[in-house]
Amino acid sequence: MQQREEKQLEASVDSLISRVSHVKNALHSFIYKLENEYERLTWPSVLDNFALLSGQLNTINKLLRNEKTPSFRTQVIIPLLLSPDRDEDLAKLTEQRVPVFSHEIVPDYLRTKPDPEVEEQEKQLSAEAGRIGPEVAQKQIQTLNKLCSNLLEKLNNPRDDRDADTAGRQNKPSFNPADTNALVGAVAFGKGLSKCRPPGPVAPGHPGQGPMMSGGPTLQQVTIGGTSGQQAGMGGPVAPQQQGQPGKMPSSIKTNIKSASSSMHPYNR
Amino acid sequence: MEAPPVTVMPVTGGTINMMEYLLQGSVLDQALESLLHRLRGLCDNMEPETFTDHELVYLLKGQQGNPFILRARRSLSHPTAPWHLRYLGQPEVGDKSRHALVRNCVDVAASHTLPEFLNEMGFRLDHEFVATGHIFRKGALKVVVSKLSRILVPGNTENTERLSLSYLVELSVLASAGQDNVSEDMRSFAEQLKPLVHLEKIDPSKQRH
Repeated sequence: MQQREEKQLEASVDSLISRVSHVKNALHSFIYKLENEYERLTWPSVLDNFALLSGQLNTINKLLRNEKTPSFRTQVIIPLLLSPDRDEDLAKLTEQRVPVFSHEIVPDYLRTKPDPEVEEQEKQLSAEAGRIGPEVAQKQIQTLNKLCSNLLEKLNNPRDDRDADTAGRQNKPSFNPADTNALVGAVAFGKGLSKCRPPGPVAPGHPGQGPMMSGGPTLQQVTIGGTSGQQAGMGGPVAPQQQGQPGKMPSSIKTNIKSASSSMHPYNR
Repeated sequence: MEAPPVTVMPVTGGTINMMEYLLQGSVLDQALESLLHRLRGLCDNMEPETFTDHELVYLLKGQQGNPFILRARRSLSHPTAPWHLRYLGQPEVGDKSRHALVRNCVDVAASHTLPEFLNEMGFRLDHEFVATGHIFRKGALKVVVSKLSRILVPGNTENTERLSLSYLVELSVLASAGQDNVSEDMRSFAEQLKPLVHLEKIDPSKQRH
């Protein structure tokens, strides 16, 4: 009878070890991928790795819950010998992770209860929970439930708000075609901008404008409002011809600019 | 249009021969925040840039025909920055297959003596305005949202009056001639700003009167 139990225990420990080594291998290859192939690692393949791990952990959980598996909880492990010296066999067995079986590491590896700090925190929390009266607790639960259901409702019915928002926006025009035309006309021709400049002296004190205006007192201010605005402003001998050819500019103007610029340019080539 | 046809312009070769592709629209003041918010989301992640510029438009009346126009711009927020001189060619709007207005464009940085220089060349100031607004970029696309103000006392940029209750919205790309595929990108970008702003190719000559 006892022998059979022992055999069963041994078999289940063996199967547990093999399952755990599967998890270990999967973790190992995943870590390797993360460290060495992170450049071409795709998110789907990362998810695949997680799925593999989670499946393997699930099988371990199932194995432990299986009726045929003897309860490991009832088994007791007693450290018989502690030694501060390096144990090569142990190091080999644990892949160099645990080289010594000493009093320092045994409490960590054979622990069956949470860490003392964690235990302390847990105690504090339960003490705090115990202090709150049942009525207060009920109230807090209700408030939390209310908040959660409100949030859920908002998340489930976002369309109402969104529709109201867009409807409100559509009802209000955001642009005015007449304004568009006025602005385009202004940047193109100065339409609507004051263009009637007195040919006389300009308000003093503004640098750059004074000499510009005083330089050409005989030239009338030119407007560019189409043919109606085109005046024979140039007092020279050439002005009268301009009405005849709207839209086309003979190349003489080009030469005019060129000659003007070359005569002006101090660095003549 | 007053500027001479692109073909007679002596701008050839290299990086000078650039075309500006342009779409224009406007947004009402009260919808400005929504537009800026959307642009911040759509455009390159960068520090929000604002500007205040003073633009002076100069004319050179030739012996014949239409006057020649140059636009000089200076930053009021950065007075030490160079001036910006710009020539814009005749806009081409007729081509239906192209989704944006196209015009020849030459940009030059200039020193602060630009007004005197233009004046000596025979150019005369026609009109001026102040533009205040925001710049956004998305790759080669540039979006400028600006408020235009007229200047009440000539030359005094402190004393201004806003032109309308809307902001001008301009989407533009500078590309060398013939790269019409950029207008496709512009159109798809403009689609994403609807219905807040409708960016269209607007023939400026129709707005003249």
